[in-house]
Amino acid sequence: MHRAILYRLTYLAAAMSLGHHLDHLIRHNAVGWPLTDQVNAFTMSLVVYPVIATGLLAYRAGRVGPGFWALVSGGGAVFVSAVHFGPAAVEPPELILGHYQPPILGWLAFGWLVSFVAVLAITSVYETRQWAEQRQTRRAARPATGAETAR
Amino acid sequence: MTATTPAGGQPAVRPQPSGAAAATGLGGAVLLVGTRIGLWLGVQLGLAGLLVLAGVTATGGQALDRVAGWWMVYGALVDLGTLGVIAWLLGRDGSAYRRLLGPPTTAWQVTLGAGGVLAASVPAVVFSAELTSAIYGDATAPMLAVVDVPPLASIFSVLVVPLLAELAEPVAYLGVVLPRLEARLGRPWLAATIVVLVWAAEHALFPLLVSGGRLDLEFAAYRVGSVLPYLATWTALYYALGRRLLPIMAARWVFNGGTALALALGLVE
Repeated sequence: MHRAILYRLTYLAAAMSLGHHLDHLIRHNAVGWPLTDQVNAFTMSLVVYPVIATGLLAYRAGRVGPGFWALVSGGGAVFVSAVHFGPAAVEPPELILGHYQPPILGWLAFGWLVSFVAVLAITSVYETRQWAEQRQTRRAARPATGAETAR
Repeated sequence: MTATTPAGGQPAVRPQPSGAAAATGLGGAVLLVGTRIGLWLGVQLGLAGLLVLAGVTATGGQALDRVAGWWMVYGALVDLGTLGVIAWLLGRDGSAYRRLLGPPTTAWQVTLGAGGVLAASVPAVVFSAELTSAIYGDATAPMLAVVDVPPLASIFSVLVVPLLAELAEPVAYLGVVLPRLEARLGRPWLAATIVVLVWAAEHALFPLLVSGGRLDLEFAAYRVGSVLPYLATWTALYYALGRRLLPIMAARWVFNGGTALALALGLVE
């Protein structure tokens, strides 16, 4: 059940990330390599796709758990927030809202970005909770196992 | 509460909707929401009517605008009414208020969870701020700009109202209405969507402002649009936290109490 939810949240976040990169392509501002020669935040953000693909393979193989996903989604939320909402934002909301005609499209793109960051943050909270519960379960199981071994 | 406690004393987190089996069913949820809406409208229209009758203001519109300055204070009446209905529903169902708050939550879980809730609310804050500046420019959002109360009422709105609001509002929508809707509809996502929309729509009713002699519907729509991302985020977090309400209540208290404090100190221009 929890694995299914985790997969669904990961696919949702990946789809929203893809949608936001599409928004960059349409606006054609704040883009970098491979669309231009400049290496910038846009270029760095593309790293997320190999990270997700590798993470999914490692998760299926049991190499990583919810803690890994909590860090990936939490890190993603912090990165996207810093780039778009932070005091030193390189791509503040005006760059999205002011580059669409009619303006409602700008609001849709901005609403998408806000939802994307919210999904990342909520996913991180969910996975952190899973991680903590997993650790609690392991800790609770350890003394019981030890007692049986002692017998 | 349906969480079981395995060896080791830790609650297994497989919580079920806390009020799903409530005998009062969906009728209780409708009564609760209806009470809140009725109280918001009743208190504001009643006070405005009194001002007109007493000759303090000449028109109903002026009276409503004057009453609006006190909305952060009389909100306490709405929350007290809500708590009354919740207590009545709990009495009929033979349940307890604590059960509405979800599985047992330790102090550090509440603190950590509240931090997570506040962090996850940042996108909603940004959206709301952008919407405010798109509609009202550099001016303060009207629901904050209209607040005009004497110091004693300010103290009440900082110390008492935010606490009452947290004991009533999220508990009503997430602890009482949502589980009953889930039980009726069988689809949690649909129930959550309805709760978020109704919860947001309630915000259109306070404060009631007048523009050009008519109710300011643009402001009402703005109110709904600006709170929608917050409510959607908090409802999603309610599920993400295993239906634990306390972290959400704590974060909201910090948020709403902070806003009331900033207003009382004159930090909001």
